Amino acid sequence: MTAAAQNPLIFPEKNRYKPETGERFAALFKADLALQDGPAWLKALRYSALTGLERRGLPTARLERWKYTNFASIVDQFTAAPVPADLREVDPDNLVERLVDNLSNPQEWLEEILSEQDENMARYGDMMLWDLNSLFLKDGLVVDVPAGKAVDKAVEVNFSISDGTAAMPRLVIRLGEGAELSLIERHNAIGKSWHNGVTQIIVGPNARLRHYRIQDSHPEAVHSQNTAVRLMRDASYESFTLTTGAGMSRNQIHAFIEDTNAACHIKGINLLRGSQHADTTAEIEHRAGHGTSSQLMRSVITDQAHGVFQGKVLVHKDAQKTDGTQLSNALLLSEGAEMDTKPELEIYADDVKCAHGATTGQLEDDPLFYLRSRGLSENEARLLLIQAFVDEVVDGLGDESVQQSVSAKVEQWLTEQN
Amino acid sequence: MIKIKNLHAAIDGKDILKGIDLAIPAGEVHAIMGPNGSGKSTLSYVLAGRDGYDVSDGAVDFNGEDLLAMGPEERAAAGLFLAFQYPVEIPGVQMSNFLKTALNAVRRQRGEAELDALDFLKLVKTKMKELGIKDEMLKRPVNVGASGGEKKRNEVLQMAILEPKFAVLDETDSGLDIDALKVVAEGVNSLRSPERSFLVITHYQRLLDYIKPDVVHVLAGGRIIKTGGPELAHELEEKGYAEFVGEAA
Repeated sequence: MTAAAQNPLIFPEKNRYKPETGERFAALFKADLALQDGPAWLKALRYSALTGLERRGLPTARLERWKYTNFASIVDQFTAAPVPADLREVDPDNLVERLVDNLSNPQEWLEEILSEQDENMARYGDMMLWDLNSLFLKDGLVVDVPAGKAVDKAVEVNFSISDGTAAMPRLVIRLGEGAELSLIERHNAIGKSWHNGVTQIIVGPNARLRHYRIQDSHPEAVHSQNTAVRLMRDASYESFTLTTGAGMSRNQIHAFIEDTNAACHIKGINLLRGSQHADTTAEIEHRAGHGTSSQLMRSVITDQAHGVFQGKVLVHKDAQKTDGTQLSNALLLSEGAEMDTKPELEIYADDVKCAHGATTGQLEDDPLFYLRSRGLSENEARLLLIQAFVDEVVDGLGDESVQQSVSAKVEQWLTEQN
Repeated sequence: MIKIKNLHAAIDGKDILKGIDLAIPAGEVHAIMGPNGSGKSTLSYVLAGRDGYDVSDGAVDFNGEDLLAMGPEERAAAGLFLAFQYPVEIPGVQMSNFLKTALNAVRRQRGEAELDALDFLKLVKTKMKELGIKDEMLKRPVNVGASGGEKKRNEVLQMAILEPKFAVLDETDSGLDIDALKVVAEGVNSLRSPERSFLVITHYQRLLDYIKPDVVHVLAGGRIIKTGGPELAHELEEKGYAEFVGEAA
């Protein structure tokens, strides 16, 4: 045994964190007496977040999970205390409540879930942005769908954040046994703003949540989002994110299949241009057997834009008969466009079916020539091929109104390329 | 219709076509036969305007226009059509969308009104029926998962819809069984007219039993080494390429 291994103090591990990047927010918190007040559980939550933030700061590229996305410096410009996001909901069945009305005396389940740490992030020491959200926890929404209720009309939430401000909204969504809901989020932040959201979801036994996000914020906006989903027995969670907006975005989803025969499908389309940087990090953890999961990403990247996909499927020893797939395809339309992909499988069960794949490439010459030989201009041919590339994701979306608005947005984006 | 003069073409610095002279008047069907590697496919690609071929000498006059100066889509609009030897699969693009986009792109360039969805469907379904293509083909992605025969029928369907003045059929018979071959040949024959010309490129004489050419050319080593009537194809079939090419050279 070497001396270093016997005594780790001889060569202490280099600190991966940069605590100083969190100081500004710690100070803003300490200066706000109202935030330090409140019920005991909320104080405990905020102070634990403060400890975390003071220890770790904000994520930098020194962390393995952030190696493609150097986040901390991007948000240097935000020096004022976070403000509430402007949330407007379309809520035909009156399911949505304001979080702020629930904080002083929440129901037990809500208090419990708000106090939870995302276990996965805790494992990787990557709860900085979550902690920051907890530190300023105040505004957001609660959607609690009672058991057996199948909601016909989608709930829509429009997020708007003003130029120069940061907002830390929290969403909590719970579906009781057999409940069904479609939730559509539209993000249209303005100017140099920062959305640092946390969404916590419980999909109860045999319940089904379809979760759509259309993120079309200003090209100078920063968008970071953490979503933690728990799936109970026979539950189904389908998520789709269209990313066309924000100069810097990190969309992180962690799904936990807690009980048998649950299904989790995470899809996304990234259309990136200019100097946009968009990072999708998805991890699906199978803790019970007979679960199905998939991750499907399609990215179209041009100019100097940079896409990142980090996908992981983790299958625990007891999660036999798991079926997990993971696929990321990226189309690079310019010399300067870049895509980093890190697909991972971590499997401890022996009877599973898991597959992953990733491709990054350009439009192929043969189809382009074939289409042009039939009379399409080079431009028309390119548009048709790019459209076809993303359509596979759009076509399977389920909700027709979402499908239409996504198609329209994709078409608009493609047209603007010319 | 088309006059090819002293056409030289190279790919990756390798000379493939070494001086092709060929004139096809309106209404005629010419066949080009030749062994593998003689330059048959290169000729078809150069005529259609594919990138990657370096035309070092020669000219192609297409109804008074300089064909080689045009982009592939302009050639299509001007009335040139290439039926591919290996039709390209395009996942995600529905056949109906592809056909309609192509037809309207060509009509637009020709100064004709675009067809609306209904008129287009009427047209395409009539043509499909004639070629024995099932309606469900319209919903499938272009050539994806199609058999060799289906792909070749699709090529003839595109030709029937785009109504070119001059069509190059690049080994349209390869990979077809005799029944499919008859259907494809009938489709081509039904398009024959005094205003339309064809260049049928094939390795085998068999296709020419069904599409009767007016003139047969033998291509070898990047040059046309012999030109004759339909009987030339039979002569070629009997002797085989090796002997024939040896004699001619």
